[in-house]
Amino acid sequence: MRAFLVACLAFVVIGAAGYFLLASVQEPSGVAFTTSGARISPDWSWRSVGSRAGECDARKSWQWVFVDFGKPEGESATCSISQ
Amino acid sequence: MVMVCARIRLFAVAIALLVLATAAPVAAQQPNSVDPNADAVKEQQLLQQLHRIQGLGSIPDTKSYVIEQPMGRVWRLFHEVFLHWIGGVVILGLIALLLVFYLVRGVIRIEGGRSGRTILRFNSFERFTHWTIAVSFVILAVTGLNITFGKKLLLPLIGPDLFSQWSLMAKYAHDYSSFPFVIGVFVLFLLWAKENLFTKVDIEWFKEGGGMVGHKHPPAGKFNGGQKALFWLVVLGTIGVAASGAFLLFPFYLTNILGMQIAQVIHALIAIAFVGLIIAHIYIGTLGMEGGFDAMGTGEVDINWAKQHHPLWVDQVVGQGRAATPPAGATPTPAE
Repeated sequence: MRAFLVACLAFVVIGAAGYFLLASVQEPSGVAFTTSGARISPDWSWRSVGSRAGECDARKSWQWVFVDFGKPEGESATCSISQ
Repeated sequence: MVMVCARIRLFAVAIALLVLATAAPVAAQQPNSVDPNADAVKEQQLLQQLHRIQGLGSIPDTKSYVIEQPMGRVWRLFHEVFLHWIGGVVILGLIALLLVFYLVRGVIRIEGGRSGRTILRFNSFERFTHWTIAVSFVILAVTGLNITFGKKLLLPLIGPDLFSQWSLMAKYAHDYSSFPFVIGVFVLFLLWAKENLFTKVDIEWFKEGGGMVGHKHPPAGKFNGGQKALFWLVVLGTIGVAASGAFLLFPFYLTNILGMQIAQVIHALIAIAFVGLIIAHIYIGTLGMEGGFDAMGTGEVDINWAKQHHPLWVDQVVGQGRAATPPAGATPTPAE
């Protein structure tokens, strides 16, 4: 049982390390697949174009994972839906 | 003669006018003189001749210039049709087979029952590594199967909002879980590779069906032939899913669209086989065999179980002087 619990802990720790590794290596699709000339903002990938995108903060990956656990303070609920 | 020629010309002009006069109303009856399918025909010709339709663009992503490419349709057919069938047949078929096997063969009991004396089979580090792989694999399997079957099975049940949120989380969980899984399998490879090399004993084990049919128990060392096969399939399968997964984690960095499609096909097929393999492994380690789970539960297995399934290993351990542990609270019996 102890080996199993430690394994669960290791899974979380290594998984988190994987997150940081990918976050440092991978390029956001909004940047990777557009030109800097045509791109208005790297946060272009808001789904609800032209609605309230300007008032929304870009989500970090961990916020995407835990998307059900709230939104940044003072931000409209539309921002969570639009991403 | 001149008159004759003039009459012939007049006749020809009259015929031409007659033809035009009859053809004009027919053309006028057409709703549009432009053939609406003409462009499609050209595209089809282009696709057949060039194997793709592509144009020019101004953004750096040159892949976006490609409008159509035939392999995209083949890939879509695989992903949306064939993979569902392959996955369904493999997974449900295996579960059905195991159910039949369970009903026919039942639980493989410890002959003579538990002795109460145990022997250490896997130390805590081996069990830790095994469970790290197991936890990662379950997450990878559930989230991976969601990619293949979620749209068909889960979406109608929970609706698009919840499904999209779940799928988003599942996608990230799949990416991050791959790291502990691959590291775990690599560590396990270092720990067990030597003991999992095939020997002549394993040939006998396979010849006798691993003792699954009938009540004979072919000899085996620490790992029997089936466990060794599983070990190498897991190692090779992990190399396959890790390599193809790297292509998918970093799209278009290492290959083009065709390479991406091939990587996805390889990743999916190996993963389906992996799920089937591990379902069988879980069955035999829990429901199918009495005393089997102890090896990865406490690490200690009953000596009767060990003698029944891994007699050569027991001989080896006894030869090394690592005697079996008596049950907790047992009083030593004085020698006669």
